[in-house]
Formats: sequence, structure tokens, C-alpha cells
Amino acid sequence: MGITKKKIIYLLLIIAPLLCIFVSLFIGRYPLSIDEVIYILWCKMLQLPCEVLDIKQTIVWDIRLPRAILGALVGGCLAISGAAFQGLFRNPLVSSGILGVSSGAGFGAALAIVMFSAVSSATYIFAFVFGTLAVLLSYLIGKVYDTTPTIMLVLGGVIVSSVFSALISLLKYVADPYQQLPAIVFWLMGSLATARYSDIVAAGLPMMVGIAGLLAIRWRINVLSMGDKEAHTLGVNLAVDKGLVIISATLATAAAVSVSGIIGWVGLVIPHICRMLVGNDNRVLIPASLSMGACFLILVDDLGRVITGSEMPLGILTALVGGPFFVWLLKKTKGGNW
Amino acid sequence: MSMSLIQVIGASFGYEAQEIFQNLHFQVEKGEIFCLLGPNGCGKTTLLDCILGVRRLNSGKILLDGQELNSFRSGQIARYIAYVPQSHERTFPYTVMDIVKMGRAAYTGRFSAPSKLDKAIAREALEMVGLIHLRHRPYTQLSGGEAQLVMVARALAQKTPIIIMDEPTAHLDFKHELEVLETMVELVNDSQIAIIMATHFPNHAFYFENKKLPTRVALMHDHNFLELGRPSEVIGEENMKTLYRVNTRLISCATGERNELKQLVPISTIS
Repeated sequence: MGITKKKIIYLLLIIAPLLCIFVSLFIGRYPLSIDEVIYILWCKMLQLPCEVLDIKQTIVWDIRLPRAILGALVGGCLAISGAAFQGLFRNPLVSSGILGVSSGAGFGAALAIVMFSAVSSATYIFAFVFGTLAVLLSYLIGKVYDTTPTIMLVLGGVIVSSVFSALISLLKYVADPYQQLPAIVFWLMGSLATARYSDIVAAGLPMMVGIAGLLAIRWRINVLSMGDKEAHTLGVNLAVDKGLVIISATLATAAAVSVSGIIGWVGLVIPHICRMLVGNDNRVLIPASLSMGACFLILVDDLGRVITGSEMPLGILTALVGGPFFVWLLKKTKGGNW
Repeated sequence: MSMSLIQVIGASFGYEAQEIFQNLHFQVEKGEIFCLLGPNGCGKTTLLDCILGVRRLNSGKILLDGQELNSFRSGQIARYIAYVPQSHERTFPYTVMDIVKMGRAAYTGRFSAPSKLDKAIAREALEMVGLIHLRHRPYTQLSGGEAQLVMVARALAQKTPIIIMDEPTAHLDFKHELEVLETMVELVNDSQIAIIMATHFPNHAFYFENKKLPTRVALMHDHNFLELGRPSEVIGEENMKTLYRVNTRLISCATGERNELKQLVPISTIS
């Protein structure tokens, strides 16, 4: 019974995001029928000539599909990193941004916007580099003697985050208020609206590496969550295993943030929702967070396209939708054992 | 000559301004209970940390099975010494089984998870401490005594010749304290495990001696061992005065034919 139940759960975790991606191809202001969507997907994938209006092909294949795929990757990355960090730092209030990756990336993006006067590919690169740099700084601050006690890492993250937040404010202050400032503000609020296949290819590699790393090491996160001393006496090489978790989560989050901007909430609450649904064993929790984060962000993005004509920033919607949903689930499951 | 499980030779540890212990010598043999006794802050936990490889001695050395501790990787130490913490902060509600399976980390690759065999070993460990019926329960819902036994089961799952316990009965009620002690007696009797235990209660040592286990006590005092020997030889009214500055009376009660349990009764503190 245990084996089949496990298989069913894993199957659901794989199918759910694919289903969400498929559903989101229909959602938007331009109505399309099931037949049309399936036909377009079919001929595009097999590279056959399509006998549908060009605009329909563009909407399905070049706008909605990459946007859904990117949403899945970003949501999955944020949630899986959040779950891993919660275990590593033994703190359920931790999110994917704990080591400063979000504020670092935000600063990088703002810097690029100010330097080059608009959002460009430099924005992504700067965001990724500074996001990674912020984590490295937190790590170095947290490194006392030869070890990195968890509490010092968190402290390092807090310091680095606040410094980069201040720097973001500084850039907003000096930015040109008619062009650059709105671009910075909008970027910081997060969006998938500009998703293209090139984004997916560029950001996809670090995301995939990060996701693969976390999936591979996920049982070790259980042991790491026992705290440094116990993990050591259980036989864990703390420096290597902690390092691998941090590097993987950072690659995933920094890449996600650099293509989508700062989307809060997903990295904190999706892991919790999964804890209620599948329990706390990271062997299941980590893949569940990946899948659920992907579904959540796709659906929220769909919702954004439906309820407002203009593009509502994702960072706002995730919290507005996620908050009530979390409360509902809390009541419904009575917190699970949580 | 067979090697001692642990040999501590001239061990010293201190922080810059403060010396903790100096020039300690002792060894731990197979199947014995080695009790560390001493007032708060005398360095019991620090000494245990050094043996576990969590801290490094300033000078002296620790040999595990004749080999220098510093040459071991954490995974190797974890296959030789298991650890039961004094207090375990329960953060996430893992199931009891999940916790015990973590005892198999030293036998499990970094990128894999416990196998069927590991699971069977974890079950066996839970059966030994009598908690197999709780295996699916979140361990955050257990009582303090049960949770401590889960920690003991996790240590057993490590399949080590030595278990280190740091005040394993701290925070436990009257019955649960005895349950943990009884489990320890069973372990030493059945599996010939050696236990190193820091404790605040001299009577624990008498308890093990009464159960006919090879028991030794080290009294930690003033950076060194005041005495090291059998409980009946070293736990007495005079030594307790020196160690804790407490007046005590040593009494004895019959617990069966030709078997009596010694107990140290605290009377008053010496100001």
C-alpha cells in the first residue's frame, strides 16, 4: 500500500504542473478553442505547416506557452529553495530570500536599469550576479573560525539584505523619475509578462542545476535540520552538505529572480502548504514544493490576466491570493500536525 | 592486548581566558558504563564534545580503537560513537520513524536515502526501546520521556560500539527517568554497548552498579578528575562535600536477596 500510494503522489506531482501549463494556454483576452490549441501545439512541435491564423499561433506558442513554462520554473525554484532553507536553518519562518539573494538581485537589476536607462538583457545578468554575490557575502559574514553556525548565516543574510535594500532605495532616489524609476519599481514587483524562450534557455540552466542539486540531496536536509551538532554526530560533513544546499538553492533562486523580478510569498508559504499536505519528510516535501510552487505561480499569473486588463504585478497577486488560501487550508487541515 | 574502545591521553581544553580541563587520562572498555559526575559548568559536556569530534583538544589526544580521532571523518566517527543529546529542540514534526532513520545517515550516501535494510534496522532500534507502536506519530507530540527514548533509538540505529549520553534523564519525570535507565541496562546487557554518560545524579551510578553492570565513575572537579573508580569506591560523603559542597548521607536498601541498592541522600548545602 505504501509503495503504490507513494507512486500516485509522485505521479500527481509531475502531472499537475503540466496540466496547469496546458490550462493556461486558454486563459487570456483572446479566446481559443481546445481543438485550436491542441492543433497549434501539435504542428509546432512537429514543425509542420500550421493552417491557423498567425495571431493564434503567436498567442499560443510565443506568448502563453513560454510564459507558463517560465512561471512553472520560477515558482518551482522559489518554493523548492524555500523548503530547503527552512530545513537547513531549522526555522519555518525562513524563505528563499533568507541569505539576501532577492535584495541582491533587486539591486543588480536596479543598477542595470540606471546604468543602461531601460530593462535589457544586462538587467538579467546584473540581477543574477548580484543575487549570487549577496549570498556569498552572507556566507563570508557568517563564517566564524572555520565553521558557519546557522545563526551566524542568518545574521549575515539579514545584514546583507538590509544593506542591499538601502542601496536599492539609493538607486531609486537618484534614478530618472520618468523612465528609470517606474522601470525599477515595476521590476521589483515581479512579472512574467515579458517571458520569451530566450529567457527560459538562459535562466533555465542554473535553475535546473539548482533544482537537481536540491532533489538529489533532499534526504540529507532532514539530517541537517537536526542542528549542527547532531548532524555532525550523525555523520554529516557539515561544510560540504550545507554548502551544496546553499549553492543549489542560490542558483535556483537567483536565476528565478533575475527573469521574474521579486515575487514574494511563494518561497515561504508554498513549503508550508506542502508540509500540511504531504508531511515534513524532505524526501517528499522537496519535490512537492517544486510541483506546487510551479502550479501556484502559473495559476496566479493566469488569474492576473483574467481579472485585470492590464498586467497586474505578480508580487502583489501572489500575496493577495496566497494569503486567504493559506488561511483556508490552515482551518481545513487544522494545520496537519503543523 | 585488546585495544580500549576509547583512550584519552593527557587531554586538555580551554578557551583563551578560561581553562576547562587539563591533562585527563582515562579509557573506556567494551560493555561498560562510564559516568561523568560533576557540578554545572565543570566541563562534562565539553569533554564529551571533544570525544565526539565537535571540538578539538588544545593538547593531548583521543584514540578510537587505537587510532587518533583527528584522522577520522565525521562519517567514520558516527559509525563508532553515537550521541544522545541532553535536550533536543523539536522543530519540524517528523514522524518517529523518520527521526530514527536519520541514525543511518553515516551509512547512506550524500545523494541517496535510507534503504530497506536501513528501515529494518530503524524498526529494530524502535523495538528495543519499546516504541515501535509510535512509529507513525509526529515526534513533536510525544512526551519528554518518549522523545528521549526516540533519541536513544536513533543512536542505536547507528550501530556503534559506543553511545554517549549527555544527561539523558534531564527534564524527565520520576517514571520516565527510570525507563531510560532500564533501557540503558538492557542495551549494555544485550548488545555489549559501552555507554559514556554525563549525569547530575550520583545515584544513577549506584543504580547501574546494583544491576551488576561494569560501572565506573569519574568525578570532575577543578579542571581534573578528583577520583575515578567503581561507584562504591568513589561516591561517598567526603567526595560529595568536595565536589558539590553538599552534606550527604549514604544509605542502603535491600532490593532482593543479597542485593542492595546504595543511595546518596542530600542533607544540606555547605555555605
